[in-house]
Amino acid sequence: MSIRTISRRQISEEEKPVFHKHVCPPKHSGPPPDPVAPTVTIARNLMVTINLPLPDGGAVPMWIIEDPDDQVGGQVFPSKMIRVVEGDVVHVRTGVKTNTHTIHWHGIEPTPMNDGVGKHSFEVSGNFTYQWLAGQSGTYFYHCHKNTTLHFEMGLYGLLIIDPPRGEGYVAGFNPPSHVIPYDVEALWVVDEIDSRWHRELASTHDAFMQKCDPNDPSAPGPFTQNGFLNDFRPDIFLITGVPRLDDDTPIMDPAVAVYAKVGQTILLRILHSGYTVQRYTIGIDAEAIAFDGRPFGVPPFGKYSKPFAISAGTPFTLTVARRIELIIRPKRPGVFPAQVEFLHDITGRRLAMARTVINVS
Amino acid sequence: MNRRDFLRYAVVGAAALTLDGCMKRASVQPPTHHSHRTTSYSLNISEALVEMVDGTAVYMWLYEDPMKGPSFPGPVINANEGDRIILSITNTLDEDHSFSVPGVVESGNIAPGEKKVLTFTVPATGTYLYFDSLNAPVNRILGLHGAMVVLPHDTGNNPYTNPASAVRELFNDLGHAEHFPGEPWIAERTRIWLFTSVDPKFNQMAMEGKLINPEELVNSYLPRYFTINGQSGAFAAHDHNNVPSGRIGQPHLIRLLNADVDFHSPHIHGNHVYVTAINAQTRDNAQFVDTFTLAPMDRVDWLLPFMRPPDIPGDPNMPLRELVKNELSKVLGDVPQSPLTYPMHGHDELSQTAAGGNYPQGLVTTWEITGDLDGVDFPSVH
Repeated sequence: MSIRTISRRQISEEEKPVFHKHVCPPKHSGPPPDPVAPTVTIARNLMVTINLPLPDGGAVPMWIIEDPDDQVGGQVFPSKMIRVVEGDVVHVRTGVKTNTHTIHWHGIEPTPMNDGVGKHSFEVSGNFTYQWLAGQSGTYFYHCHKNTTLHFEMGLYGLLIIDPPRGEGYVAGFNPPSHVIPYDVEALWVVDEIDSRWHRELASTHDAFMQKCDPNDPSAPGPFTQNGFLNDFRPDIFLITGVPRLDDDTPIMDPAVAVYAKVGQTILLRILHSGYTVQRYTIGIDAEAIAFDGRPFGVPPFGKYSKPFAISAGTPFTLTVARRIELIIRPKRPGVFPAQVEFLHDITGRRLAMARTVINVS
Repeated sequence: MNRRDFLRYAVVGAAALTLDGCMKRASVQPPTHHSHRTTSYSLNISEALVEMVDGTAVYMWLYEDPMKGPSFPGPVINANEGDRIILSITNTLDEDHSFSVPGVVESGNIAPGEKKVLTFTVPATGTYLYFDSLNAPVNRILGLHGAMVVLPHDTGNNPYTNPASAVRELFNDLGHAEHFPGEPWIAERTRIWLFTSVDPKFNQMAMEGKLINPEELVNSYLPRYFTINGQSGAFAAHDHNNVPSGRIGQPHLIRLLNADVDFHSPHIHGNHVYVTAINAQTRDNAQFVDTFTLAPMDRVDWLLPFMRPPDIPGDPNMPLRELVKNELSKVLGDVPQSPLTYPMHGHDELSQTAAGGNYPQGLVTTWEITGDLDGVDFPSVH
């Protein structure tokens, strides 16, 4: 008996435009389609290439999203953090200087034209002003959503924090009746890995391995590239918040990463997984998880089906790409408490590397 | 019956198994009594060439409903808790295979040409993966897997029997509590998103009759195609069977299964989702997330509330058809912006590729909001 074939689904004439748009989004520029007066206006440009120094004296090229209004700290990796207050109507004047890009506000939920996904709206060519409401305080991030496999890896992302109305120093969390928790020390761990081959070989190819566009036959096999390597990620640089670790044993002591606090203070630790491996975290001090993905546990109405949970010292927990967790730590005694991230291969589970830092309590 | 019809049966088939080749269109009426039924049906373990998103045909091993032909993944088994299933399973291939739902049924080795009859009781409500457990994970990753969905006998507005209190409260609140205006969940508003990947070099070895060492597969596996319910990219994103579709206030249950050897980190735009069950265990801590983890073999249930996307500025009492009427009237790239569509995709972005590129022709699909809470659809744009 000959082997039967299961064919690809046949697409209709009506489906051709959405198939075409799926791989070849249109370009667009201008103001938000339904403008609301902003309370905050921010600028971001895509993109700028910077060289990230490595501990061995070398450097790796990174793409970053620039804040053109900040002459001092506007060009950094990870891209400069956006910080607004719950209730803000945010406009982000987005300038695209190279080819086309988008910005997706991960965890923020506006209309599709403000969501930054090309196949559901458009790619920005020139300037576009994204508009969204900072509806719920918490930990988010923003990133380019074009050829994302490459653009996110290259560094086109940054943290996005929405503070509660009371401002920095407070975080939404289960604490009736106010449901905000005050903190004294805030730590931001943005944990990433880099495959330097991608950065060396693809740093000038925004559209690396993209399918060619054929509007008349958008699913035709012919225009598919057959020789890409964006399915083959072999990280060799491991970082926390832009600081590469030297080796598996040496803790990162950079104050952008290591936490310094006093007994009796409250630490808020926000973690974003911005790599492609499976990351296993172990922190040597008791912590309480108060939120995932900008949604505080136990806070009514939407959080009432969940509750904070304890992560006791030394108990590992795992995050995968794009997840965020917020932890509250209340040190009861002085000491240098170790923290580590193990980077695990997403198929074999094998440990590829480890990054260490410390929580230093005086 | 084409694949689309088949999956529609699978989604609405609350009252009966869908694998019975003689089955008529399933009734959506819940049964009115609790008598446990016994249903018989059959599966073949067979082979086919499956066209990937770029047209490449890949040899696969598949579970096949003999009345319908092979499918990738295998046919959805819809069942009701406590029923009896008599499953006749015939191995048409040249090596031993099996049928396994851990903790529920395990066929043991089925020799080439052998037919085994398995009798088992449908387990507790939830989402299950059935698969060939031999030479794990080789036989599973070469295509021998599928979803089994178990509903209560009286499904009503909750897909679980005796769920954890948080999940019971959530389903009770949908359409009733002030923060969830609209309708309760109903069984028709369910989708299955089964993830896997394909590394054709191993499929080629299987076609040539070569033995595949599981350790070698895991250590040298380089996924070239990523699929949801057997399709990738635009094909998966625009298949109505994958796409939750409704107005604001019409919540959907999504059953995610990971048959892959790879971890996945699916991310949904437009709404957060509640994690209501993991591996058929309902959660007493149902977190509200935009991204979640599926380890290999994991099954995770998401309740997609179909809320009005919460971060649209402007008067929250004004219907979206008025508040964002300019956006809803636009056509970009020959595609109307009405209705509002959002992606769900793997955020381990390697999963967005096919043949190492072709973004986004991987593990991606869509959900769409077609109208306002008051029952008025968004304008259609021509």
